[in-house]
Amino acid sequence: MGKWLKCNQGVGVILTSFFTALLIYIYLNPWAHRKLRDGFSLGFFPAVAIVLSIIFSLILIFDSRRKEVLPDLETLTFKSLLSAVLAVVVSWVYFALMREIGFLIVTPFFLLFAMYALGSKSWRNTVLVAAFMTVIVYGIFRAMGIELPPGKLAGILFF
Amino acid sequence: MFQPEAIIEAFHMVLSWNVLYWLVVGVVIGVGVGAMPGLTAATGVALMIPLTFTMSTASALGLLIGLYKGAVYGGSISAISFATPGTPEAAATIYDGHKLMRMGQGRKATLMALYASITADTLSDLITIGVAPALALISLKFGPTERFWLVVLACTLLGALSGAHPAKGMLGAALGIFIGTIGTDPVGMVSRMTFGLWWLQDGIHLIPMMIGVFAIARMLEGAIELLRERKVAKKVRESIATALMKSGPGLTFKEYIRTWKEMLIGLFVGSFAGMLPGLGATVGAFLSYSVAKQFSPKKQIGSGVLEGVAAAEAGNNATVGPTLIPLLAFGIPGSSTAALIGGALMLQGATPSPRMFELFPAVVYSLFIILLAGNFVNLGVGRVFAGFYARLGQLPRQILIPLIFMMAIIGSYSFRGNPYDVMVMLAFGLVGYGMRVLRIPDAPLVITFLITPMMEANLRRALLINQGDWVQALFHSPLSIGLLISCIVLTFLAIRFEVSKRLGVAAPKGEQKDF
Repeated sequence: MGKWLKCNQGVGVILTSFFTALLIYIYLNPWAHRKLRDGFSLGFFPAVAIVLSIIFSLILIFDSRRKEVLPDLETLTFKSLLSAVLAVVVSWVYFALMREIGFLIVTPFFLLFAMYALGSKSWRNTVLVAAFMTVIVYGIFRAMGIELPPGKLAGILFF
Repeated sequence: MFQPEAIIEAFHMVLSWNVLYWLVVGVVIGVGVGAMPGLTAATGVALMIPLTFTMSTASALGLLIGLYKGAVYGGSISAISFATPGTPEAAATIYDGHKLMRMGQGRKATLMALYASITADTLSDLITIGVAPALALISLKFGPTERFWLVVLACTLLGALSGAHPAKGMLGAALGIFIGTIGTDPVGMVSRMTFGLWWLQDGIHLIPMMIGVFAIARMLEGAIELLRERKVAKKVRESIATALMKSGPGLTFKEYIRTWKEMLIGLFVGSFAGMLPGLGATVGAFLSYSVAKQFSPKKQIGSGVLEGVAAAEAGNNATVGPTLIPLLAFGIPGSSTAALIGGALMLQGATPSPRMFELFPAVVYSLFIILLAGNFVNLGVGRVFAGFYARLGQLPRQILIPLIFMMAIIGSYSFRGNPYDVMVMLAFGLVGYGMRVLRIPDAPLVITFLITPMMEANLRRALLINQGDWVQALFHSPLSIGLLISCIVLTFLAIRFEVSKRLGVAAPKGEQKDF
């Protein structure tokens, strides 16, 4: 990423473009022009919020602090961004598997994987923490009367 | 407004083993959350809200208020022990607290932090109990127009005072308004802004959104930082011994009394910062610390004195009660944690609004009792377990981050059993992470999201009453004009004098960088 994109002005340009596209999307949708009984069009409030967002994004482009470089953005790499997206994807996969297979079976593996990926070195401790925390959390939720997904496999194995 | 039977009912609600149990659990978890760098009160409360779904209202309030109070105090433990604030609001405690620790007076500093926190917290709770009903009485006289302008004023305050850049604060608030319009319009009940997704017709639910913004976003930031650095916080392990409450001199009553002026400064500055939407505990602590430093130059605050610890800790804990004042009086949360507590009350069927004292008096009074009782529990837990929490503060992030991810996923799923809530939560985790990188404050987003339906409904109600006459609907009373002028003056002052930047200087890491 260029240095310009990492200062307030660059961020302002990107945000302004995004919000303008969103405003156009709202304008082009027929529901936005639908008149309600009190005379308001359905798209009025969302459009007002987006217009406000555009105004504040434009301020970022033109105000006195426009050249200010954002320290977090300066150190942000493509790899970091990819890691964030990957973490979210892995979390979703964990959730999907948990619903299918069951909380008690999938969670220790998820915790093991995540701890290892983040740099946990001691295998013994990692396995112990993963197993212990799974059981503790399951116990707390059960005690609260909140059912965690038992899953199909868990149903066959335990119930 | 004063309803003795509701007070008796509130005592019945609170004085049960179940509620007291959850209050203790809340404080125990809260001090731990506060002591662990990277976790904030908002993160802890967001993660615990799904558990409150099956509880009584008083138990839920006990857990959440206890957690909130515990977390705000708990931050001081790691700030004093190893110069890493557990929460951003404890950053001001480092200056004097850690110096005292290095001088071998860690135990004294930890006890000062505890007593200053409890003293200011208790007194600010009494302020809350006195001020909130009076304001609620005034707010009942407001019509839809005044309520609309009040919400607009709150959004302006939030935008202008949050973060270090007014435009970014305002942008956060505008984004919150936009997200608040997704789903169904509050008057006609017609769906809008659903992007063609049927499951968005009910709108975005507060709980997954908050878990995403306050837990997942912070954990993503922490995970990326960890992957980049691959460092474990194993620095000052050996020096913790002096803070373990077993060795080193304790705090005498004379030393405690000597800091009365700093605690008083913390009480008033913190209470004021708590009441105003957008400021919060971090600003409260730093402002109180700076004011105390100015007031008593002879005491050499900053060189490792108890007065510095007292000012900072009184300043942050004094915000806890007052941050609930705008929520109880107007239905507008004063901070992100207050917004979460408001969300929990909504889950319990007691939606915060200007009529809160009329509709749910027993709930409000039980909240007051819990606020006061929480201080005594906090005192006991802090006094006995500070050493344990100092060790807990060193829990490796490699363990902590996956655990929070797991809790966030099962928390957002279990309270409604809706898989789309998990999707929303993860999406807002990414949005929140992006906002943190771009230094757009998250508190305005969450609070304006919560109050947008109120703003829209009041404006439309005002227009209906005035038969579509916009001028009459918006400016029909001197109060509405006064509120509008306040918004304009505030925006002008915020930009002209760069108020948020100054506050940002006072609180260098602010609410933005707390991992």
